[in-house]
Amino acid sequence: MSLKYITPAERFKKYLPKDYVELVDYGPFGKTQDQAGPGNMGQFKELVEEHPMCSGCWMAYYIRLIFASLPCPEETVTLGTAGCGRLAISQAAVPFVYGNYGDQNAMASGLSRAFRLRFPDKTKDVITIAGDGGTMDIGFSMTMHSWIRGERFTTIMLDNEVYGNTGGQESGMSPKGAVLKMAPFGKNFEKMPATGLAIAAGCVYVVRMSPTNIKKAAKVIRRAIFVAREVGPTFIQAYTSCNIEYSIPTEEVFADAKAQEKDRFQFEEFMTDEAKAVIERVEAEEKAASKARKAASKAAAAEVN
Amino acid sequence: MYYVAKVDSNMCAEYKCNTCTLYCPEANTLMFDKAGNTSWVDIDRCKGCALCVYVCTDMLNRDCITMEMPNVGEG
Repeated sequence: MSLKYITPAERFKKYLPKDYVELVDYGPFGKTQDQAGPGNMGQFKELVEEHPMCSGCWMAYYIRLIFASLPCPEETVTLGTAGCGRLAISQAAVPFVYGNYGDQNAMASGLSRAFRLRFPDKTKDVITIAGDGGTMDIGFSMTMHSWIRGERFTTIMLDNEVYGNTGGQESGMSPKGAVLKMAPFGKNFEKMPATGLAIAAGCVYVVRMSPTNIKKAAKVIRRAIFVAREVGPTFIQAYTSCNIEYSIPTEEVFADAKAQEKDRFQFEEFMTDEAKAVIERVEAEEKAASKARKAASKAAAAEVN
Repeated sequence: MYYVAKVDSNMCAEYKCNTCTLYCPEANTLMFDKAGNTSWVDIDRCKGCALCVYVCTDMLNRDCITMEMPNVGEG
């Protein structure tokens, strides 16, 4: 897609669904993060809405945050696989490709290569957003191989530490001893060291976090996307609790995410020197652009007065 | 129907704050009205998780949001 493709001709607007026209007029397409980003969610029309996720789902919250943080939503394609997450991701106003049981990273490899061939003059972002089962259990081989090959796209793992969509089976990412509906005696094995595996497999930017600080979480998502454009594979492991399977009262979901931030999901950020150079360059450019915009709007306001 | 979030606009407008709108798991549900400087809830979309109540009451000590039974289905 592109901004030109999304924007309808003015005279056709009255025939189009109201939701679509509102999305183009008040959504984040073609806007900067200052105008429509995570910092002012609730003040613009967001890309994902009315999803069927459970009440108080922290995964739904993180997905909302991912879509608000996209640097260029009109040039982005998301991929996912079976699991809770795709229920919301597939409904967003961003093209979504559904991978068959864990092959999202294999598809993303082909897709990102094809985009680079077909649109050499454009920057297309490919992002796989899958659960811990899709990324680290069922899709493990395809995830690892895409990283080992150095495919340039972003992998985001929504780590709820359980198969939430199918009734609570233990996953490779469940912590040792976790008692779940389909693991009543408690899990016998350790939680998989996902970030360590990613670094060993050649990811150039790896983060483990619990998304409680909105600015920090958005910054990490954007960094992962910017680095994947130029350098290599990037990986984010984010804690997105399952309040149903882990029996967390909905109003305490945020408190639980904060507690996990001090426990299993302590913030960890790894980047190579090459990735660091890209991040520093892009963030300096963004800062300068935002400064220039502010100065321009100030000058325009002064002119009116 | 079930309990959904309700924002006390008068209390909310006293603060320069839109924190609750940043932490709702539902997009386009807990919105911020810039002109009135207050948050408001689209009750058709609210799933009643009360995360916003945690943010407003427990985190910020402001008590602007309560869970209430909405008046729907009349007439």
